[in-house]
Amino acid sequence: MTQPDGREDQRHHLDSLLMRESLLDKDVRRSTEAPVFRMLPDTHVLKIGGRSILDEGREATYPVVEALAQCLDTHKLIIGVGGGARSRHVFSIGLDLGLPTGVLAELAEADALGNAHILGTLLSPYGVVAIPPAIFGHLLPLFIRTAPGVIFTGVPPYALWEHPPEIGRIPPHGSDAGSFLLAECFGSKDLTLIKDVDGLYTRDPKRHASAEFIPEISVNELRKRDLETLPFDRVLLDLLDHARLLHRFQIVNGRQPNRIARALAGEHVGTIVHKDA
Amino acid sequence: MQNELLTELGQYLVEGSLTDVNVLRQTGQEPPLPILPNANVLKVGGQSFIDRGRAAVFPLIDEIVENLGRHDMIIGTGGGSRARHAYSVGLDLGLPTGVLSVLGTFVSMQNARMLNYLLAKHGIPFIEPIQFPQLPLYLAERGAVIFFGMPPYTFWHENPGVGRIPPHRTDTGVYLVSEVYGARSMIFIKDEEGLYTADPKKDRNAKFIKEISVAELKAMDLQDVVVEHPVLDMMQNAKNRRSIRVINGLVKGNLTRALEGEDIGTLIYAD
Repeated sequence: MTQPDGREDQRHHLDSLLMRESLLDKDVRRSTEAPVFRMLPDTHVLKIGGRSILDEGREATYPVVEALAQCLDTHKLIIGVGGGARSRHVFSIGLDLGLPTGVLAELAEADALGNAHILGTLLSPYGVVAIPPAIFGHLLPLFIRTAPGVIFTGVPPYALWEHPPEIGRIPPHGSDAGSFLLAECFGSKDLTLIKDVDGLYTRDPKRHASAEFIPEISVNELRKRDLETLPFDRVLLDLLDHARLLHRFQIVNGRQPNRIARALAGEHVGTIVHKDA
Repeated sequence: MQNELLTELGQYLVEGSLTDVNVLRQTGQEPPLPILPNANVLKVGGQSFIDRGRAAVFPLIDEIVENLGRHDMIIGTGGGSRARHAYSVGLDLGLPTGVLSVLGTFVSMQNARMLNYLLAKHGIPFIEPIQFPQLPLYLAERGAVIFFGMPPYTFWHENPGVGRIPPHRTDTGVYLVSEVYGARSMIFIKDEEGLYTADPKKDRNAKFIKEISVAELKAMDLQDVVVEHPVLDMMQNAKNRRSIRVINGLVKGNLTRALEGEDIGTLIYAD
């Protein structure tokens, strides 16, 4: 290839559609829009709250475990867990010590891994195993055809490479985000976030009795409402904007464990947040 | 988990919501500690540099060796031509962004390993993300360390707004290392003098930009920019590394001048 100034291109190229192209060029990026292959279309991704379910101990956790066990007969489950109160604690110590976002994200993975093993222990009679993150993604298709369900650390492996947030220093990609990204990449059927509230409210229902329930809402509407708090990672709104395969997720109250099977059957039993058309 | 040892903020972090903007704001009041304030992070381009082979790479290796003992260098690698090939095959097959991210990782790993062999006789190690806890030791002992530039997001890579190519590639991964460690500098070693108003390889009217803020750069809305867009967004949110330098590594001496803090190439900074 001859350059505008007459020099020869001395780069050794490999023949491909994107050869010599700057991947930063807008037209090049647009040209790469194409339908996406679904790897695991028959699987369901669930995220079990660390603080909302597991940290509450036997009273909240055992009924959820039982509900999940019943679903395993008919559904393939990929279960993410968060770090819960221990992650919050390590954040507060880490912040006090002056550690940056990436380090906080690295530390939080350990709490999620601990919770994955806790849930893995309780689901082991049903053949469900917790799998460490280093091999989880590559071997997931094998695991999910071999076991009725698998558990992973919902926190994505961003660690030191976590994005600096717009406000403050808390890592933006928590276990809700990790579960979403996994479901989107593998083309899972749906994503259900199991929490200890019925879904999304106009305000935190635990602090404000007047809070109103929102059964379904789009990303743009939700942004417009500018709610003080959300029962899921805020970054999920951006992830939904750019989703190709997963166009919605549902928040379901795990303290009403019978709703879990209903959610997996496609029923509307909590709050559905969906991408704008 | 009541704990009287926790600060007031700590208490709220344990009990409150991490989506509460008022709480998040408080977590940013103190600046983070610079972890490796004397280290310089370098990014060696894939398509722009390593793909040129011996003619480009050997002089750069010599210059890196000359700077050992004078400047600590954390060296990340780009992907380049083979990453583009893998992306185009993957796109044609309909593979999702997360899988393309895995493929890109393998290519930047090959480039890191090649640089590693060229620097092996100087005792410079190549480390994977899982070995980053040893990075401070290697840096103190040998003065440099090599890693692959792709961030380890793999299957968890966010989709881009447009298209299917992973948006957070090697520029972003290397930049984030400079941010998290609070490094002294972030230097992108490419095959152009720096930033231009268009791709100088394709447009002879492209004008060189010596220094520019992220806000100005975004306002120009250029068709093509020398670094990945997310780096610009992240610089605006960054707590430590709020400027980057892009230099032409094909010119002997440029790397040394950049390490010495001289104003060469293009400086892009967040206001």
